[in-house]
Amino acid sequence: MVPVVSLVMGFLSAAPLFLAVGVNPILAYQEVLGIFATTDGLTESLTRSIPLLLASVGLCLPFKMNFWNIGAEGQLFMGAFAATGMVFLFPDSPTIVLLGSMMIAGFVFGGLWGLIPAYLKARLETNEVLTTLMLNFVAILWVDYLVYGPWRDPAGFKFPLTPMFPPNARLPWIPGTRIHAGLIMGLACAVLVYVFMARSKWGYELKVSGESRLAAKYAGIDYLRLTMIVMFISGGLAGLAGMGLVSGIVFRLRHGISPGYGFSAIIIAWLARLNPLAVVPVSILFGGLLVAGDAFQIKLGLAFATSQVFQALILLFVVGADIFTRYRVTLTWK
Amino acid sequence: MSLLAHTVQAGTPFLLGTIGEIYAERSGVLNLGVEGMMAMGALTAFMTSFYTGSVGLAILAAMIVGLVLSSIHAFLSITMRANQIVSGLAISILGLGLSGFLGKPMIGMTAPRLPSFSVPVLADMPVIGPILFSQDALLYASILLAVVLWFVLFKTRPGLNARSVGENPAMADSLGLNVYLIRYVCVLFGGAMSGLAGAYLSLLYTPLWIEGMSAGRGWIVIALTIFAVWNPLRALLGAYLFGGVYALQFRLQAIGIGAETPQFLLMLPYLTTICALVLISAESVKRRIGVPAALALPYVRGE
Repeated sequence: MVPVVSLVMGFLSAAPLFLAVGVNPILAYQEVLGIFATTDGLTESLTRSIPLLLASVGLCLPFKMNFWNIGAEGQLFMGAFAATGMVFLFPDSPTIVLLGSMMIAGFVFGGLWGLIPAYLKARLETNEVLTTLMLNFVAILWVDYLVYGPWRDPAGFKFPLTPMFPPNARLPWIPGTRIHAGLIMGLACAVLVYVFMARSKWGYELKVSGESRLAAKYAGIDYLRLTMIVMFISGGLAGLAGMGLVSGIVFRLRHGISPGYGFSAIIIAWLARLNPLAVVPVSILFGGLLVAGDAFQIKLGLAFATSQVFQALILLFVVGADIFTRYRVTLTWK
Repeated sequence: MSLLAHTVQAGTPFLLGTIGEIYAERSGVLNLGVEGMMAMGALTAFMTSFYTGSVGLAILAAMIVGLVLSSIHAFLSITMRANQIVSGLAISILGLGLSGFLGKPMIGMTAPRLPSFSVPVLADMPVIGPILFSQDALLYASILLAVVLWFVLFKTRPGLNARSVGENPAMADSLGLNVYLIRYVCVLFGGAMSGLAGAYLSLLYTPLWIEGMSAGRGWIVIALTIFAVWNPLRALLGAYLFGGVYALQFRLQAIGIGAETPQFLLMLPYLTTICALVLISAESVKRRIGVPAALALPYVRGE
């Protein structure tokens, strides 16, 4: 209940901002609601939600143990990079082999990228918020180097993008729609991670470590091993999201392949209260917000940053409302 | 412009942001919203300067905006006892989003900038003259501020109060200190400083408005407060070190190294941050220095 109220309030609080730039907020809201009212809008939202779904599910794990992985964006970029690398290394492989190897590569490279801050935190107590954050910039710049340099499409008019992927490197669409198979991957991961968190020994260790590292130590939990496994999976899922982006939607690697999906994923995971199953509807909602962001840009002339503002406002209200889940408000008459 | 002169200029936003964040964290509140506040400070200063022509007004406006944004974080963290990491992140995302949203019409424009002036006799000194004594007022003020804030934090009663609130708020409370008020003041001060740092970026450092002006500097500020071991004097060291990295990166690009592929040079500040953090962590694992004990823990009387 609380998350829903926060969502609505966050949404509404954007109204004065629209007014400030001379846009009628009612128009803006109509735009957003309109997306969910049409089949086209819904399928587009679903498609956009796939990378969000994967990355957010991945974030539930480290957040649950109070490991603040702010690096999902960078891990996503590394996954996209690795998947693209597979395409260029083995362009003539059969589809299943190529796609499979892209998935594995995306997962592994994203996971490795997440492993670095995990190790630094577990071994040296290095603040993970900062290390994951800094690695984002490094990953983004790495991809930039590739798409402006060695991987740039010679026929691309000097734009920072790679050549288009051949058909065997593209994720198949669900028949009749533009939604790619990554959705199945994402839903499967949501279920898997949920089971992992709720029913396995690791899930238990996660929870304990999140509550108290000291208690975890006394319970014999190996913090180093746990952190590294969790971050490998988390980074890996973000990497998969990146792979899904390049092989399911964009069909190439380019500058700015992700407009902040990794950061949106943080908000989604938090909004879903770190429950991988709840992440599914929330990411569809955010997918819709992204589509709305496009519409804002095209129809209302607003900056793409608009949907970022929406997301931040929603998060602020959710964060503030958290207190109501921990304390109960009682009114007394004197 | 010489490398060293560029260094101190590049370091000033870091210095301003860091000394503010030091106060916030010393009082026990982790403010991850610096990036957003810096971005909004930069935009506000730029727009104010653009529309009013007054640089002084622009600086003031930027500080107010930083203060307002940090007040949201303060309210959520201190009064609503929310998770400070997520709250700060939300403010950063909001600030970045807002600066992109509101700054769209400003892209590519220029506005009146901070003037430089030379200190009469000192500016003529052989090497350090032009570097240190031909800069703008805000740069001088930042250095002075760092020293003054160090003094206040460690040598005065208010500073001691702030520190104790961050180390052991329950004890401070029992001694009659208003934990909430002190935290609010420190966080708001930090916010104003972040806004000011942003103003420096757009009024001096970059000649025109571009999107993404802060480029992660706000996050680096947070790393720098750790690197400075929460000490405003050591913040000087960290800030100018990073200023040097930026200046170096600029200079190398200018002489053609990495002209085709500037990305690796651009990675320098971020990689340096990680290295600095690793170094300081290794150091503190051995020596157990400095973190305010109650950092990021909401204080509730009676809990």
